[in-house]
Amino acid sequence: MEQTPATQPMIEALGLTKRYEDETLALDNVSFAVRTGQIYAMLGGNGAGKTTTINIFLNFIDPTAGEARIDGIVTHKEPLKAKAKVAYVSENVMLYPNFTAIQNLDYFARLGGKTSYTKNDYHDVLRRVGLEDEAHTKRLRSYSKGMRQKCGIAIAILKDAPAILLDEPTSGLDPKAGFEFLGLLTSLRDEGKAILMSTHDIFRAKEIADMVGIMNAGKLVMQRTQSSLAGENLEELYLQFMAGSVERAA
Amino acid sequence: MIRFIIEKELREIIGSTKFAVTFGVCSLLIILSFYIGAENYRTLVDQHEAAKRENLRQMEGLTDWFAVQQHRIFLPPQPLATLVTGVSNDIGRMIEVHGRGELSADDSRFNEDPIYAVFRFLDLDFIFQIVLSLFAILFAYDAICGEKERGTLKLSFSNAVPKEKYILGKLFGSYLALAVPLLIPILIGCVLLLILGVPMSGEEWARLGLIVVAGLLYFGVFLTISVFVSSLARRSSSAFLMLLVIWILAVLIVPRSAVLIAGRAVDVPSVDEIASQKNRYSSQLFTEDRTKMAGYKPAAGQDDMEKTMADFNQFMQKIADERDAKMQEFSGQLNEQRENRQRVQRRVALGLARFSPSATFSLAVSALAGTSLSLEEEYKEAAVAYQRDYAAFMMQKTGMLTGGRVMMFRSVVDEGKKPQPINAHELPEFVFPKPALAGTVTESLPDIGILMLFTIVFFFGSYLAFLRYDVR
Repeated sequence: MEQTPATQPMIEALGLTKRYEDETLALDNVSFAVRTGQIYAMLGGNGAGKTTTINIFLNFIDPTAGEARIDGIVTHKEPLKAKAKVAYVSENVMLYPNFTAIQNLDYFARLGGKTSYTKNDYHDVLRRVGLEDEAHTKRLRSYSKGMRQKCGIAIAILKDAPAILLDEPTSGLDPKAGFEFLGLLTSLRDEGKAILMSTHDIFRAKEIADMVGIMNAGKLVMQRTQSSLAGENLEELYLQFMAGSVERAA
Repeated sequence: MIRFIIEKELREIIGSTKFAVTFGVCSLLIILSFYIGAENYRTLVDQHEAAKRENLRQMEGLTDWFAVQQHRIFLPPQPLATLVTGVSNDIGRMIEVHGRGELSADDSRFNEDPIYAVFRFLDLDFIFQIVLSLFAILFAYDAICGEKERGTLKLSFSNAVPKEKYILGKLFGSYLALAVPLLIPILIGCVLLLILGVPMSGEEWARLGLIVVAGLLYFGVFLTISVFVSSLARRSSSAFLMLLVIWILAVLIVPRSAVLIAGRAVDVPSVDEIASQKNRYSSQLFTEDRTKMAGYKPAAGQDDMEKTMADFNQFMQKIADERDAKMQEFSGQLNEQRENRQRVQRRVALGLARFSPSATFSLAVSALAGTSLSLEEEYKEAAVAYQRDYAAFMMQKTGMLTGGRVMMFRSVVDEGKKPQPINAHELPEFVFPKPALAGTVTESLPDIGILMLFTIVFFFGSYLAFLRYDVR
């Protein structure tokens, strides 16, 4: 496995396990690390454990065993401290439909502890994510899904956190919006952010991720760097791992 | 941080179309209730004055106070009673006063115009109790679970936001956004009272202020209940359904059931039953007195007709007084028994009804408006006090107590003078004291306290439920 120059991982899962009260094993001893200036793509089907992993990093649920760390802070032990260092974009950004993009940004920026932004800052970040000026003062209820996703990433950018968690961020986006979105992620990586992204999109994952992990039935069944995947067909690999797992499970 | 959340709530609620529509409707209803109240008050004042004039007019042309058979007093309309009607339209407003005997109030407003009894009045009590409680539910049922459904709760808590600060901001923000704007139509309503010339004393303004405070507290109860339920439910549709059931129970079922249960649990002899016993006893006494009357013999050797009649009248007055005393004692016992049972029944009914914030609010505001159940008692007490003044006046004018079954003989000597008509304005005036601020506040305090308790309980309920809430 290729190592980035940074010393301590910004996002780190150590033997992460989650067993629900009904005995369902959602995560089984998952470990990985994302360093600053890295994008980690978590691939996997529905129920593979991707969202559970993100939920543990956001302290929405506690792990049964293991630790999730943000910049070395254990999320279930010091959740508020950890959350101050992480920004989050969900699969389906909804925000407040009666608010304009500027109002939504203002609220979530303040909630994230950033109180010194001006309206110009909000306009700048909205332009950066590709939202036309005329859309900035429109209520979110008139936005398309792609526009809302852009707004969501704008909120994450404004938080200026060293770690970013993205849960299926390109799901439902049209190809153009998806492409623009990946451009944004690349620029954020170049700024030194550590990005953990769960996705179904194998092609985009291969294109952008510095590291790819494949999850199935709560297990991290494969973890490879981009350079090690250079000559390989990721889609084939993905299907092999999924099929292999299915056979194992059977 | 709480400030940001409060600001967001204010902006989100006030900026919504739902708020514009429902706030418009509520404002219209509140202003309408003040307008209807003021118009009602003016109508009632006119009716009251007309009734008083008619009472005096009936005495026109009488030349002897002894001939005054019918004197009526009327419950004067109160400005606040038209804003919070309470029982003021249910109790009799007219009492026929005699020098002796029991008093009974007749001719309630609903008795005169039964159509009003069918749909009742659009007063402040109704607006707050029904409309504003629904208004609170409509805006707060999805306060928490709605945010979860939208995904904004998850996004909010991806930040370093303590749950306790979030729920506090949410509760205060919703309350400020929904309750404070309601003060605008209430203030417009107050101005309407002034414009329409409703005479309100300083104490009445203070009592109206407290009615509004009680209304805002009641609104707070339903708002905190809604946030509490929203913190327990996963879906906003389930929360709305649960709140609708709670609303129906609190506003419609509990108060009515409380009265029914108390009626079943505590027997109170009916008015007819009591009246029948009184009539039987009265007839028995009168039969006994008839024997006494039959045995009456004028003093032997009495030639003076005037003296004979005076002696007879004195005899009649004496037996009437004795009969009256016996009747009063008997009636007093029966009335006391009934009143005691009624008190127990009321205590049970009101105690059970107070489990409903709606009933508690209604009791608090009717006490503040002076239209609670005690209005009937206060009116009767004032009437009994007036009866004493009236009896003294008639005694002074006629030399005897009028009223009851008294047979009197009078001789009129025509001295060729044209008899002078009596001056009906000499009659003592009936004054019904306005409820005092201190008294009404004392009466309403327990209910205001219960409303506060409801608010505190559901406030902490929401707080604790949210701390355990799964924000995913």
